[in-house]
Amino acid sequence: MTLDSKSLSTAGSPPLRGVVFRAWSGARWVETAVSGLDERALAGAAESLEAQLAAGQPTSPPPGPSATTVGSFDTAPKRPMRDLGTEGALAWVREVFGWLTDTPAIKFGRVSLNWGDEERYYLNTAGANCFQRLNRVHAGIVPVAIENGRSEFDAFSVGRLGGQEVLDAFTEATARRVSEGARALLNAKAPPSGLMNVLLDPGTTGTFAHESFGHGTEADQFVRNRSYLQPLLGQTVGPELLTLVDDGSIPGAWGSIFFDDEGHRSQRTLLVDRGRFVGALHDRGTAFTLGAAPTGNTRRADFLGQAFVRMTNTSVEPGDWSFEELVKETGDGVLLERWVSGMEDPLGGRMQLKVLKGHRIENGKLTDLVSAMALSGSVLQFLRDIRGIGRAELREIDAGFCGKGYGDMLPVGDGGTYLLSRALVGPS
Amino acid sequence: MSVPSNLAVRVADRLGGLAGPWDVFAERSRRFEIHLNGLRVELTRGPIVLEGYGLRLLRGIDGQTGVGHQASTDPSDEGVRAAVEGAEKFARFNQFPAHHPELPSGRPPTRSGLAIVDPALWSNPSGALEGFAAALVAGFEGRKGVVPSFSSVKATLVETSIANSVGLAYAYAHTVVETEVAVKAFGGPEGRPPGEYWFTDIGRRLDVRPLPTHAADWSRFAEDARHAGSTPNGEVPVVLPPEVLAGIIPTVLRFQFGAAARLRGLGVVSESQVGAEGLHVLDDGLFDWGVGSSPLDDEGTPQRKRELVSNGRATELLFDVLHADALGATSTGSGVRTGGIEPSASVSRRFTRRPMPDASTIVIPAGNGGTDAEVIEQVEDGIWVQQIGWAEPDGLSGRFGGEIRIGYRIRHGKLAEPVRGGTVGGVVVGREGTPSLLHDLGAIGSKPELNGSLSSPTLLIRSLPVSGDDHPSAATTR
Repeated sequence: MTLDSKSLSTAGSPPLRGVVFRAWSGARWVETAVSGLDERALAGAAESLEAQLAAGQPTSPPPGPSATTVGSFDTAPKRPMRDLGTEGALAWVREVFGWLTDTPAIKFGRVSLNWGDEERYYLNTAGANCFQRLNRVHAGIVPVAIENGRSEFDAFSVGRLGGQEVLDAFTEATARRVSEGARALLNAKAPPSGLMNVLLDPGTTGTFAHESFGHGTEADQFVRNRSYLQPLLGQTVGPELLTLVDDGSIPGAWGSIFFDDEGHRSQRTLLVDRGRFVGALHDRGTAFTLGAAPTGNTRRADFLGQAFVRMTNTSVEPGDWSFEELVKETGDGVLLERWVSGMEDPLGGRMQLKVLKGHRIENGKLTDLVSAMALSGSVLQFLRDIRGIGRAELREIDAGFCGKGYGDMLPVGDGGTYLLSRALVGPS
Repeated sequence: MSVPSNLAVRVADRLGGLAGPWDVFAERSRRFEIHLNGLRVELTRGPIVLEGYGLRLLRGIDGQTGVGHQASTDPSDEGVRAAVEGAEKFARFNQFPAHHPELPSGRPPTRSGLAIVDPALWSNPSGALEGFAAALVAGFEGRKGVVPSFSSVKATLVETSIANSVGLAYAYAHTVVETEVAVKAFGGPEGRPPGEYWFTDIGRRLDVRPLPTHAADWSRFAEDARHAGSTPNGEVPVVLPPEVLAGIIPTVLRFQFGAAARLRGLGVVSESQVGAEGLHVLDDGLFDWGVGSSPLDDEGTPQRKRELVSNGRATELLFDVLHADALGATSTGSGVRTGGIEPSASVSRRFTRRPMPDASTIVIPAGNGGTDAEVIEQVEDGIWVQQIGWAEPDGLSGRFGGEIRIGYRIRHGKLAEPVRGGTVGGVVVGREGTPSLLHDLGAIGSKPELNGSLSSPTLLIRSLPVSGDDHPSAATTR
């Protein structure tokens, strides 16, 4: 459901049902898939798979442990979105839209609300037989300010597993603050450029955890000899105040799952423990090759997509600095706010983070608002330069969508708090 | 080649006496994939079969149009009934400021023989993929210290069909190929860390002919990434080849020239100067092998060329049926069921989306800048950007920016040492009188190349902000 200044649009996603079959040929995995649950189409997909298997020569069992998970798992929200109904959702969208556009200079606004129930069954020949229902709710607001031909926007969104309670984050004060943020950007100064102290807001820290570090811990990259982190396993990569985890079992978090698409239960996996790189994310194949255990991180975008090692909720654990202490410690530099995107570089170990706006920090104080920026540099150097991490009460887990390579987008959580380090800042 | 399945007509036949206007857009796709770990096949997938349709109803409500859309993978009587119910329900809630939108009534395509199907791929998809993978592997044989660390090729064979309440019934086939290759350079006595070049592409055919050249180029870029120096810092002349421009220009122009932006008071102002004099930009829905090319748009309006920019001035906008009606125009054949940010979603899941005004293949015709070497000759001190991590252009603001994964310093009109790191960014289309990529063109090359949804020659931008940790000399164009 999307309401903007010119149109209201609601639509029903297709009940996109389908099945993927996977089998081990003796040398590699082979898959077929089909949409719908039509018996004839399913038989066709199974026959096609068997024909491909017949052409191979089974020489070994499939690598790694098969899951044996049995059970039914459900987000079970207390206030399901279906109880709100289309008309209730419309009323909510209209109310938020009113708040959003009630600020001078806001010439265009958009409010979106999406919810859906994702259901996955997993069965295998080792006895796994499990079902999960994930109730996803995602809402966002975008006000656009226009003045003298210049347009700027700000944005705020929330995504969680759950029900109507997810919408509680959108208050009149929130909407007005975001609109005011867009208006203020009309007069934002150009961002600074060059190597400097950088203070990341919680969302940007989470994006760093995911894009810059997390992708390098996906063990399929280890098997391909394509991770700059692989040779560093067991070594110190950052200060003792740095702990980094991937946790697919956080109740209600956007990237959480009950079990992965090989049937293994989700879990909390320590990646960096007090500065030391201690763990990687595995599917059954990489676990077999590298002598580890599956970590519940095998994910498909849907039945049409490939199953491979993916993150769930990746975050930097809180430290003990207050925001004021971090700003003071920054001295001269820039605060990066409102993350937009990140880009991985698993082999090269470089990073790219983009934010919508920020503030200069001069003599330990927040000063001018500045416009969009990109942050780049070496991830390892960035880790070594970390000097402070914010307290737990500043922590957030943002909702994002992650692609791996070319596509296969799926929901992930990026979490963290304020983090102080040093990096190259440039235009975006 | 088999005749495309006409799922849209089969669904339309089940609609009975449903009141119009309505249209049905359907797809049946089969995808085949091959994934390599190094030089070894680690996964084959296919056929991955997806069949579905989107039913759209247009209903007059309070002087506006209620647009109801419901997608489904169930073409049975029961499935179609449920889709109608869903679409009718949503039509009651929705509002769009169109008054009397008219769906196209079946004018034939304006051109026959449009090249959008790879016939060898269509007739034997698995065999064609295996042949491509073998040729890819062969391209790296004998190369010391270079290997593709992983690769994947995904080929999708799509049968698209459209039918509507005013008699349109049309079906056509097309193929889409997505390629991804990560090339790693390693080893050597100096103990440098490995370097990588990560190639991605989306096109319409499996073409093995350029693979030997590609393998040589990708290997060189990966090796150069190992000993690249720092990028300069400051306002610098930048040369952008077509493959980099493909990640920057289309996203911005799609938004800025789309009627959806115009309806909302956003986007370019007609007849305003959006680029340098001498710059022409087309949107060509009939561009051979373009991934956005098709005989009809996704609403059934025949495709054609649209002139977006003429001599630097904004001329034509992109209209679908609804936006055309709302703004007193006619559809330009630009009703596209876009798939969002994921390329594969645009390939075979268009039926899940409603049409919106969008571009097909953006075309910047050849200029008089000459070959790449001749474009470079015009730069005294600047950089050639070979790859940006993710330029992530923003349609609304027109901004783009990202990390330079590999580039080359240009010194005295020649490519010099490789550079890496830092960011390059700017604005593609800015307000009249403000700096932008299209305004600040120093040269337009003479050899256009199709990459994804852009056909463009190499462009020289006189000045773009680059944030590196090296200090430039007086970076200038000649």
